[in-house]
Amino acid sequence: MSADGVTTVTGARTEPEIGHDGRKALRVEHLTITAPGHRMLVADVDLALDRGQTLGIVGESGSGKSLTARAIVGLLPAGLRATGTVTYDGTALLGTHERTLRSVRGSRLSLLLQDPFTMLNPLQTVGAHLVESLPRDVRKNRGRAREETVRRLAEVGLSADVSVRYPFQLSGGMRQRVALAAALAKDPELLIADEPTTALDVTTQHEVLQLLMDVQQRRQMGLVLITHDLRVAFSVCDRIQVMYAGSVVEQAPRDELAQAPAHPYSLGLLLADPPVDHYLDHLVSIPGRVPPADTIVAQCGFAERCSWTQPECVAARPPLAVITPARSSACARLADIRGELAQRADNAERAIGTPPEPAPDTHPVVTITDLSKTYRTVPLIGRAQTTTALDEVSFAVREGESLGLVGETGSGKTTIARSILGLTRPDSGRIDLGGIEIADYRRLTRAQRQQVRRRVQVVFQDPYASLNPSLRIGSTLREVLARRGNVSDLPGEIGNLLARVGLPGDYAGRLPSALSGGERQRVAIARAIALQPRLLICDEPVAALDVSAQAQVLELLRAIREADGMSMLFITHDLAVVRQMTERVAVLYRGRLVESGDTASVLDRPQHEYTRTLIDAVPTGRNAS
Amino acid sequence: MTIQAVPVPAPSTRRRARRIPVVPLLGGAALLAVLVCVVSGAALAPQDPTAQHPTLSVTGPGPGHPLGTDQLGRDVLSQLIAGARSAVIGPLAVAVGCVLIGVAAGMAAAYFGGVVDTVVNRFADLVYALPALLIAVVVVGVLGGGYWKTAAVLLVLTIPFEIRLCRSAAQVQVRQPYVDAARTLGLSPWRILFRHVLPNIVPTVLATFLLDFVGALISFAALSYLGLGVPAGTPDWGSMLAAGQQLITENPWLSIAPAVLIIITAASATLLGDWAHERLSRGGERA
Repeated sequence: MSADGVTTVTGARTEPEIGHDGRKALRVEHLTITAPGHRMLVADVDLALDRGQTLGIVGESGSGKSLTARAIVGLLPAGLRATGTVTYDGTALLGTHERTLRSVRGSRLSLLLQDPFTMLNPLQTVGAHLVESLPRDVRKNRGRAREETVRRLAEVGLSADVSVRYPFQLSGGMRQRVALAAALAKDPELLIADEPTTALDVTTQHEVLQLLMDVQQRRQMGLVLITHDLRVAFSVCDRIQVMYAGSVVEQAPRDELAQAPAHPYSLGLLLADPPVDHYLDHLVSIPGRVPPADTIVAQCGFAERCSWTQPECVAARPPLAVITPARSSACARLADIRGELAQRADNAERAIGTPPEPAPDTHPVVTITDLSKTYRTVPLIGRAQTTTALDEVSFAVREGESLGLVGETGSGKTTIARSILGLTRPDSGRIDLGGIEIADYRRLTRAQRQQVRRRVQVVFQDPYASLNPSLRIGSTLREVLARRGNVSDLPGEIGNLLARVGLPGDYAGRLPSALSGGERQRVAIARAIALQPRLLICDEPVAALDVSAQAQVLELLRAIREADGMSMLFITHDLAVVRQMTERVAVLYRGRLVESGDTASVLDRPQHEYTRTLIDAVPTGRNAS
Repeated sequence: MTIQAVPVPAPSTRRRARRIPVVPLLGGAALLAVLVCVVSGAALAPQDPTAQHPTLSVTGPGPGHPLGTDQLGRDVLSQLIAGARSAVIGPLAVAVGCVLIGVAAGMAAAYFGGVVDTVVNRFADLVYALPALLIAVVVVGVLGGGYWKTAAVLLVLTIPFEIRLCRSAAQVQVRQPYVDAARTLGLSPWRILFRHVLPNIVPTVLATFLLDFVGALISFAALSYLGLGVPAGTPDWGSMLAAGQQLITENPWLSIAPAVLIIITAASATLLGDWAHERLSRGGERA
């Protein structure tokens, strides 16, 4: 960096080196990662990226995408072993000394991690984080370090006074910006971002992605974006590499992949993502779940879940075959089914369903009037602060309808749900549930309380935490059925419940830890519907699930509502989910209800500024710039 | 119509070639041996532990007396075996009582919060502030000993530790959504605590149970060393230790053997508790 160069951050390396004879800057060949006991986690992954290029690695949990990223920068968790070759500009990275890696990490390759809530040290100020990451010569000079910190913060859109704050004083989006500034502090040539926006709200996600793209273009930096969301990858990356069960199944330029996927799994991912702009009569999902990488060494990993499987698919592992120079696929039957794949992708574009009619203005199941709640936090030093979670919110859920409640973190969605469930006591306002005033559960008689509990049930967000880890599925369900009473054949009824949510009866004997996320959420749904409630509150029921499981669970909820005719209060930050699951929608912004109406009209013709921001922030797959 | 999830086999829990847990095995064996002595008592002893042989007063190890004899010519080994009962039963009772009361109070404090939490905590603070062993000495000394009275005093003095640990473990659990889910089902608080929260804090409970036991074992030994707690004439490790001190030159085993036994028992229980805690909490992790 030139001594007087204080205005441009991009002037980091003044002479952009040209890739030697077309050789890619980052080259990964035959990368294989194994756990102790020769258990394979990632098998034979190839990857190449030149300066200034962007590559998206897409896959569900268990696909090995994060491990691949960590292997490249030499930060695999202890006990895992990587083989193959990873070179950067001809320097071998795999198996070299830690000292060599350290000279590369940060300054040439940099890694940005997923969780902005845990990756910053809570005892260090933002400034300290940045200074620590700056090049040595800048770091040693206090004046320059301070100058540089301010400049770096400005690059990620933060003002200078942020540098004296601590991570816990910042929002998730700001933390991710700080982390990005730190990752960029040594002006790397390549940034690997591992799910950088997964933990963020949709509006914040939009901003951070936009920022990543700006920075990438301004610096002509290489970018590897790892994500489970195909649309996020589409909006940022030129090239996409789809990973499944530890290996690459397809590699293609963005537009080609979007229009005509060349692997059934890529198609599945494309279709499983519900569209935000129209309703689908049937939500397509990928059945089953991702197998462990070591169980599919000698066959196509996707064979079990694929609808085109032939004996040849399980006879041997189909290699990643080159279709065009820019494109390759690991489907053994590609020649036969390519047209069909493109056809289905195309059909999905046009499959616009007719959304169900909004329920007539029937009797409300629950009516909320002027609900308010503030939280008070008293810091060790300083004055107590109050946060308004709900500010005089009023709405009603009608008999048989599904009402969506939309808003970002801190908008008060969950506080409403918890108030209806009696888990939080609102400061003021009324909640009328079928003639019983339930704003204060403590005032209810025992009989009333029992009645209320039966009428309202809930499905929580995180299926990993909402099932008791030490109770078998059967015991969990038995307990609920015992509450319902009048069940003569308990084991039979447990089987029925499991069947209703699409799980085999022998799951009753399993512990939650033996289930996948989607399966756990099915159990949570079974538990909620066992009491035959009139109102089912779904609090972000698919936010923690993989894309393929998400569509399954949504379709299941639709089916259950159709069968039982219950009302739903559907809480989510995802507008695509709202479009698919609700007839009416209410938009919350900072504890206030800013807009409500029929789902279709609100999403198509938003009236309030904030609703428009939310809709614009949804990654559509088109380039966001 | 529901979409059927494709059934998948439960993931096989692969384990690495398992190493034999040597330390907990040794600890378990030692504890088991002590427990056998506790159950059988004097019946297992090679000789009558109270039989006096004035002619054999304070002899070193020899034929018939592998650890020698004490001042009254009683066989040391037999006394040790017979003494296990009074050395272990009391601490065991203290630990059991601690767990029963401490788990209930700790979970209640964590779940209900507010006044319950304050009352339970202030009680714990109060007892914490007392110099434990000194209080025990004063109470037992002034009110006159009695084995079970000693146990009761130690119980009261140990409970705060149990309460604090169970409370903090339960506090983590009561914030989990599965507890919210149980509440929305309309289950009673005690049912939620014992059916949902308790199984998830078992690792902590088990570890603290063994730690309480160790603490009480040492306190009991200390008290009987001071001549409190155990009535004179009853074989006991603590009182043997005291008696052997003056005769350390004539027969060192008289004091070394009970000391070593106390150390082994306490160390075994601690190590076993530590190991069990680690194993159980690892099993509860997400798959």
